[in-house]
Amino acid sequence: MCADKVGSYDAVIVGSGVSGALIAKVLGQAKKKVLLLEAGEKLPPNINAYMDRFLMTTAKVPESPYPPELFTGNKLTDPGTINAGRPTVLSLGANGKFGDWQDPKQSYLIQKGPLPFASTYERLNGGTCRHWLGTSLRFVPRDFEMNKYADSFPNWPIGYADLERWYGDAEREIGVAADAEDQNYLGITFSRPYPMPKIPPSRVDMAVDKALPGLKIPGIGLDDLDWKVSNTPAARNSQPYQERRVCAGNTNCIPICPIQAKYDPSVTLADATRTGNVEIWYRCVASNVAVDGSGRVSGIDYIVYDGDTGPVVRRGRVSAKVYILAGNAIETPRLLLMSKNEGRTPRGVANRRDGSGVIGKYLMDHPLYLAWALAPEPVWGYRGPLSTGGIEVCRDGDFRKDRAAFRIEIGNEGWNFPIQDPDTTTVDLVNGWNVSKTGSGEPLFGAALVKELNDKLSRQFRLGFLIEQTPDATNAVTLSSTAKDRLGLPRPEITYDLSDYTKRGLAAAKTAASAIFKAMNAQEFTGLHPDNPSSFFWPSGQKKERIEYFGAGHIVGTHRMGPRADSAVDDMQRSWDHDNLYLVGSGSFPTVATGNPTLTIAALCLRTADHIARNVLK
Amino acid sequence: MTDVTRRKIFGAAAGTLAGAAAATATAQPAQPAPRDPADVNLFVSLSAALTGIAEAKLAPPVDPVQVKNDYYDQAKSDPSFVALMQIIRADPSNPAAAADKVMNNADAKIKFLGRSIILAWYLGAWYPPVVLQQPAPNSPVPPLKVISSAAYTQAWAYRVAQAHPMGYSELRFGYWSDEPLRLTDFVA
Repeated sequence: MCADKVGSYDAVIVGSGVSGALIAKVLGQAKKKVLLLEAGEKLPPNINAYMDRFLMTTAKVPESPYPPELFTGNKLTDPGTINAGRPTVLSLGANGKFGDWQDPKQSYLIQKGPLPFASTYERLNGGTCRHWLGTSLRFVPRDFEMNKYADSFPNWPIGYADLERWYGDAEREIGVAADAEDQNYLGITFSRPYPMPKIPPSRVDMAVDKALPGLKIPGIGLDDLDWKVSNTPAARNSQPYQERRVCAGNTNCIPICPIQAKYDPSVTLADATRTGNVEIWYRCVASNVAVDGSGRVSGIDYIVYDGDTGPVVRRGRVSAKVYILAGNAIETPRLLLMSKNEGRTPRGVANRRDGSGVIGKYLMDHPLYLAWALAPEPVWGYRGPLSTGGIEVCRDGDFRKDRAAFRIEIGNEGWNFPIQDPDTTTVDLVNGWNVSKTGSGEPLFGAALVKELNDKLSRQFRLGFLIEQTPDATNAVTLSSTAKDRLGLPRPEITYDLSDYTKRGLAAAKTAASAIFKAMNAQEFTGLHPDNPSSFFWPSGQKKERIEYFGAGHIVGTHRMGPRADSAVDDMQRSWDHDNLYLVGSGSFPTVATGNPTLTIAALCLRTADHIARNVLK
Repeated sequence: MTDVTRRKIFGAAAGTLAGAAAATATAQPAQPAPRDPADVNLFVSLSAALTGIAEAKLAPPVDPVQVKNDYYDQAKSDPSFVALMQIIRADPSNPAAAADKVMNNADAKIKFLGRSIILAWYLGAWYPPVVLQQPAPNSPVPPLKVISSAAYTQAWAYRVAQAHPMGYSELRFGYWSDEPLRLTDFVA
């Protein structure tokens, strides 16, 4: 297939999420000609379109404001009928039940197990950071050197010191609010202040913090820890920034901020197109990375479609000097593995000609342990951003040779995450049910209902523990041999499990949660959701107890950076196999570490973009 | 964050109950017949007693949103609505007594319609009486539908929590560090 003669580009980027958007902006500002291919929809002309969809849906899940449509009638839309589909948390249900996680007619991902991969993503303008929370933590220095602790972890080829300047640039680029003097724990250092002052703490943060001094939690390797709450750096305006408003505490960051006080990559996409050097094609799915006889990438084949379930409109190939795949850590490996180049690259592109076949392997998440309780006094959840504080001091220590580390996110949204409150408790109290486990079974109305509901809702709070999963080669993205999307492209197939090291982290989280609740005099209500396949028996091989996990939405590891052996890219995220190909985003992380990935994604991508602008496309 | 897997719906009960509701409910209120304002006011008066929230809060004198109409229309689509309204019509001056008669009614259809009406005001969503009459589930049950976007933004459960509907805040930056207004400020 010949390349389109639509113009010669310096760079073609696949994916308009945070990675693609930042790189497009930097290259556009450097006067390079950029074409960005986005599989999903562009921003609709009606600025309220996403909010309206959110307001009217009964299932207010992270994907709910965004196309493609989750439901067709009462059922989940069959992913085989959608041109550019994506996973949803609604398809993590038990076998045989609604949203069966292994039913290809409900789950976009073909999940082979043994455990569900519980995280999801978006495919549309702005990518998954449309529905992110906004948490913008730096990794701690030791996160980059985990091989010193445990053989199961590789080291990163770069360290905190290499990234520190880029972390500062990223914080400015997306607008992070925090005070540096609150953030210099566990070896984190700052050469510049944050661009905005911190987001004020919530009453929930204050209630947790009050109970922590003197707390001792034995048995999890943190015997001498000085437990305390830390303010969470967030890409959320505490001052007007980038002509966006200050946070008004809509308590809706996930899935959508009604006033764009939370950064989302559409801000950066607008900046990029404003340079006059960046073009974006929407509804444009990259289907093959073309490689020529010399081993250089010679083009990206694409398919343009019309509407979620509409026809193909156009096919073609675009070429550039440099190619950047920014499609997230499931879609980028999928594209690379699909790229067979008429049989010349049977194992896909960038998949290490040395035979190590690393693309798609080492898939990681932060499995999340969720715990919830009623405080003895009102803490007034459902107010403020979804999270303003956390416990970070437990993220590192010698215990990391034995068990996975975690950070603790304090939730401000009552029991919304664990049991979809306030709806569930309200229905319990009115109808005499007891799904929440806090109903008396007696139906209430009038003043009695107001009093009881206020008492329960005002005391609800939850903690989420983000566990550092080990990179395991058997956790992998491959291509389904049977399931396709409407374009006829094979859907991603996932094999996924949790190592004992990771499970020990989840078990430690369970212990820590109960200890914190006890210190607060809070009554714990953490319970198992019936038939939840995202769970395992603990200890391994015994049936003593069952522990549940959720996905944090952090998809990591499948085109990892490292030395030439057993990694896909170098520290600039350039493919070892193809000099003009970059694989960017959290897929490049060799370890998932202990912090939410977006700030590190942004730092790495700004560093890569600077290198490409200065040294590659000069 | 922990971005993604929030607000999951664990499907065991969800699919089947929603399906049952769809099969038996008389669908949307099609074109509502012209509303009698006096009847709507009576409905609001009863709703105040059912919900425990002051009439003037449910339907303020200056009311650009008029969510009472959305709820009235939705409730009216239920076959037992006339019988339910008869109870307050019999003595409009005593909505508390009428609420009591509705919520303890020997006719289950009236009793559960009363509960659906309370949940409409509290959650902006419609849980049909037939769904509420099912045996107690072990996971959250989703409503049949959100009644309107205005309904969600006026949902009372959040105000009873001394908060605001998630996604709809009229408050200023930093309010969350302070205690909220008292419960009586929200509901009385």
